[in-house]
Amino acid sequence: MGYVNRRNRTIAGVFLLPTAAVLFLTTIYPMLYALYLSFRNYDLAKPFIPRIFVGLANFQEVLTSGPFLHSMLITFKLMGVTLFFQFVIGVGLALLVTQRLPGMAAIRTLLLIPMMISPVIVGLVWLFIYFPELGYFNYFIGLIGINPIPWITSTQWALTAIAIADIWQWTPFVMMGTAAALQSLSPEPYEAARIDGNSNIDVFLHVTLPQLKPVLISLLFLRAIDAFKIYDIIFVLTKGGPGDATETIALYIYRQSFTFWRMGVGAAASFVSLIIISVLITLFFKSMQKSAAAR
Amino acid sequence: MASVSLTNVVKAFGAFKVVHGVDLDIADGEFVVLLGPSGCGKTTTLRMVAGLEDVNGGEIRIAGEVINDRAPKDRKIAMVFQNYALYPHMTVRQNMEFALKPQRLSKAEVDAKIAGVAAMLGLDVLLHRKPAQLSGGQRQRVAMGRAMVRTPEVFLFDEPLSNLDAKLRTQVRMEIAKLHKQLGTTVIYVTHDQVEAMTLADKIVIMKDGHIEQIGSPEEVFARPKNLFVATFIGSPSMNLFRMTAERGDTGTVLSSPAFSLLLPVELGAKLKPGQAVTLGVRPSDVRLAQAGDADAIEARVEVVEYLGVEALVDLRIGTQEFIAQIPASERPALDQAVKVVFNPAGLHLFDSESGQAL
Repeated sequence: MGYVNRRNRTIAGVFLLPTAAVLFLTTIYPMLYALYLSFRNYDLAKPFIPRIFVGLANFQEVLTSGPFLHSMLITFKLMGVTLFFQFVIGVGLALLVTQRLPGMAAIRTLLLIPMMISPVIVGLVWLFIYFPELGYFNYFIGLIGINPIPWITSTQWALTAIAIADIWQWTPFVMMGTAAALQSLSPEPYEAARIDGNSNIDVFLHVTLPQLKPVLISLLFLRAIDAFKIYDIIFVLTKGGPGDATETIALYIYRQSFTFWRMGVGAAASFVSLIIISVLITLFFKSMQKSAAAR
Repeated sequence: MASVSLTNVVKAFGAFKVVHGVDLDIADGEFVVLLGPSGCGKTTTLRMVAGLEDVNGGEIRIAGEVINDRAPKDRKIAMVFQNYALYPHMTVRQNMEFALKPQRLSKAEVDAKIAGVAAMLGLDVLLHRKPAQLSGGQRQRVAMGRAMVRTPEVFLFDEPLSNLDAKLRTQVRMEIAKLHKQLGTTVIYVTHDQVEAMTLADKIVIMKDGHIEQIGSPEEVFARPKNLFVATFIGSPSMNLFRMTAERGDTGTVLSSPAFSLLLPVELGAKLKPGQAVTLGVRPSDVRLAQAGDADAIEARVEVVEYLGVEALVDLRIGTQEFIAQIPASERPALDQAVKVVFNPAGLHLFDSESGQAL
């Protein structure tokens, strides 16, 4: 900024003002207000009761109560399963669609479609598929004599059903990022490996994968942050149920705030999840710096 | 070690033919350079030998066996790439180990091979470094080392020096020459740099538009170019060309043009018919300033003088005809001066103006 004189800096400030104002109104102010609420006893159903200061009581409830910890467990379980399959399938598809075969460009575009659909719509689509009596899935497995599966109505299957829908929607994201990275790799080391006679598996494990590592780490963190916030698909498919079988952190916050009207507890839970996400993001940047330094 | 031979080898990308029936025999231990401008098919030819491109016609033999349909790994070759093709995340040692992995050697054998090659190339102290921590010249040596550990029968080099600066290029060029002398392995080397070709090759193959224009030793292609393309491609600065007509004079055959005329030595004159359109080629080094008593001196005007230290390049003009003389720097004339020059009779090259072939 050394070369920017004071006048230019003022002009730059004026140009930034609209963006800063929008950012303040839509992000910073609500966040500060939530922070304020997290220390208050605010019942939205009884707005006339004064919002008294309760100290860390809301945080204490969140961190010691069963439901929040249960929602955290559900969130991480779902995250682990969906990320695992999204990366295994996504990287596999990326290897496939970067082959120079006829029709690959069209196939790649088709495969990207799930990612472009709003998660609410994805939820609705899968609702049709999973629907207990009239759903497509149970209809087709019925044709081959398998008993209907209570996808979204049993505590045993509901989380799996959500995981499948989420994997379906977000695998293309991993595929796209990986395919872009694959195409940026220099072809010459692969030709060298062909001449030296290295096996395809060796080449994938020792040449491709290490070179993809920085991109895969970025994608992993982006997906992890997103998976941590998962809400829409679950809201449409199960609303966190049956019982609390699919209640993730976001749904817990929603339930506390807008079903039980306990805004203070909801706000406190939001802040706890914000801290978890911040830790994830910090870890992400640390690992990026480390891999950049290693190169 | 092995001989390599190409018989009527053809390569086409779709309907576009890039190599038109190349015939080439490379003896065991020979250093052959494929030389030509970009797009002449030299790299494609090399890649066909490597097995990285399919052969659309003809046969490629290594050590007498047809290898057209063999996988690259089964051809007993090693290749050094233009951009080094090192594995960026592996150390120098790991790069070499990975190249040896398919051979399933014991750890002791691998270590011995790497140690031997590292000592030969001076890579010992770099073994634990990654390519990003190496200079261009060091990377090039690692790429060669990785090819050498496999002890192939044929080395393929694809413009290995083109990413190095001029000084380093000279140095690595000498190292390659030394290594070839030491190892005695057959080498096929692709370049567009004639200096590399002239200094390294036992045999130069000059290519243009997918055809071989001439095969010969560096001396042959320089002293006896087969056609106008080779004549102008080899040598720097390029050979001067003059469009002339042969005429029968009183004392022998005379070449004449609007700019000047020149009496040919008897044996050259005998090759021409009166009225024949020929192109006379004279290398700049075969043009010298006339001295007193030189017969047949040609008068020209000095346009530009480029001083190069030991010698000077003088751009001369006769009417619309421009040409260059390469003379000792001490003899260089002043600008805009009229000077008399003579051509070295032994350095006259005659080409048919229509076909471009040497006469």
